[in-house]
Amino acid sequence: MNPGVAAAAVAVVSVATAVIGFYGLRISRTTGDFFVASRTVRPWWNASAIGGEYLSAASFLGVAGLLLLSGTDALWFPVGYTAGYLMLLLFVAAPLRRSGAYTIPDFTEARLDSRAVRKVTSLVVVLVGWLYIVPQLHGAALTIRITTGLPSWVGSVAVVVVVCLTVVAGGMRSITFVQAFQYWLKLTALAVPILFIIFMLAGTGTPPLATPSENPTGLAPAGWYNNVSLLVALLFGTLGLPHVLVRFYTNPDGQSARRTTLIVLGLLSVFYLFPTAYGLVGRMFAPDLARSGQPDAMVLLLPRELIGGPAGDLLSALVVAGAFAAFLSTTSGLVVSLAGVISQDVLGAGVGGFRLAAVVSAVVPLGFALMTGSLALAGSVGLVFAFTASTVCPVLLLGIWWRGLTDAGAIAGMVTGGVLCGGAMIAGALAGAASTPAWLAQPAAWSVPTAFAVMVLVSRATAGRVPKTLVRVMTRLHTPERPLATGR
Amino acid sequence: MTRVRVTAPATAARPVTESREAAQESDVGQVFVRSLIRSQLRLALVVAGGFLVILSAFPLLLAVVPGLADTTIAGIPFDWILLGVGIYPVIGLSAWLYTRTAARNEARYRDLAGDP
Repeated sequence: MNPGVAAAAVAVVSVATAVIGFYGLRISRTTGDFFVASRTVRPWWNASAIGGEYLSAASFLGVAGLLLLSGTDALWFPVGYTAGYLMLLLFVAAPLRRSGAYTIPDFTEARLDSRAVRKVTSLVVVLVGWLYIVPQLHGAALTIRITTGLPSWVGSVAVVVVVCLTVVAGGMRSITFVQAFQYWLKLTALAVPILFIIFMLAGTGTPPLATPSENPTGLAPAGWYNNVSLLVALLFGTLGLPHVLVRFYTNPDGQSARRTTLIVLGLLSVFYLFPTAYGLVGRMFAPDLARSGQPDAMVLLLPRELIGGPAGDLLSALVVAGAFAAFLSTTSGLVVSLAGVISQDVLGAGVGGFRLAAVVSAVVPLGFALMTGSLALAGSVGLVFAFTASTVCPVLLLGIWWRGLTDAGAIAGMVTGGVLCGGAMIAGALAGAASTPAWLAQPAAWSVPTAFAVMVLVSRATAGRVPKTLVRVMTRLHTPERPLATGR
Repeated sequence: MTRVRVTAPATAARPVTESREAAQESDVGQVFVRSLIRSQLRLALVVAGGFLVILSAFPLLLAVVPGLADTTIAGIPFDWILLGVGIYPVIGLSAWLYTRTAARNEARYRDLAGDP
């Protein structure tokens, strides 16, 4: 593909992101604006922004790549990502909004009346955030390398630079505009080429090269344990993602938080139809892309492969722009939420602390990304979900719905889940993909229940430590804030 | 530009919610609150459970009925349609039903507990 066109696409997206971010600077002034967009963002804006942040490199590139390799087995990824959001709506959306906290550690401290819990939660949240940023930077490195031929590090560094500039300038408020714009950009960037391709294929009546059930690389299917464990990770993991949860605080009240989540579900469902289409078309018409060794690049390469000529180049450029939008938006969202946590707990609150924390949040995972090679994008993001599902999710769910949770139980559960899941991930990385047994490769099926069990048992054992503020906090979390007759 | 110091709200009760919560911390108030929490939790569990049952039914259906997975509609195999497209309306419906019923639960709570 034409490197000049691709580089131009990347540059345009980066500049547009930065410009919209600076425009947000003129509106955001106070620290409140910086952290949570002053709680005045309307549902459709907010929903588009959440969609923009949530749809990361894994959704944009990784899902289609996995579909190409594994067929219908890989459909659990987009379904799991969307269904995880449903779980968020059912169990977390309204109470979390009503808690009034800015960040997850705020929530756990307020709920359990304990600074120790806050510190442990902050540590977990920062770990999760950094783990999630690394695949985005890998995705950027892959995209730059495949499409422009520049060295991989250019992609990762470019993402970090643009994100730092945007976040430092405007905080959450400018990010909201940026994210909302990027959802619609990503959707368009993905939809237009594939619709064009489908139209052309249907028009010329080209026969498919393979049937969708044929495995292009002869890999064995994943097996039921892997699918179940992955689904557990995705369903429970969304609940704990810091960049997702922070957006709830930007709704005016609990019911509008629910309504925003409803809209997000619609946006996600529509979006995921397209990587599915790419996967199907790729399987039928371009199966050799699977054997190229970089299945994640399939979305970038398919338009050029099937259409060719200047039209194919332009369509590929559009996809590249969308991919870069995905990396930028998810990384920005994560950096903002991490900066919130780090600046409150470590660097001292205030606008200056936030900016320094933002730079730290972005640079540390950059170092890690540059030192490690890229793994399959959707798979590594799946492991991050498993980690979140084993640590943040139990403390959120039990904190919101169970009166018996204590600070000792929360810490014990988070540490257990983190150690078990983290240990499995490290063991898997050391052993290499081929020799890792299934239960180690996707540990969610056993690490999540264990974390829950430990949290419950230790809380029961330390029942005397139930916080004095329990009644007041539970009342605030669950009772509606204003007359529902206004219908907002 | 005014510099504002952000502190994590420890017991961030604002005046309006203060009186609301004082009223609700009475024994009678707490009965209503607990009953609301129970109904919302039950609703969430029922919707989640129902959705998961349907979610597992889809692949089971494909595994059990011979030849269903490979039947094509407009050139697309049925298993791709079911798992790749058919799930999303189920998610949307569950979400919409939940949101409506949760709002109804809260309206009922307001009628019972009154508005300070």
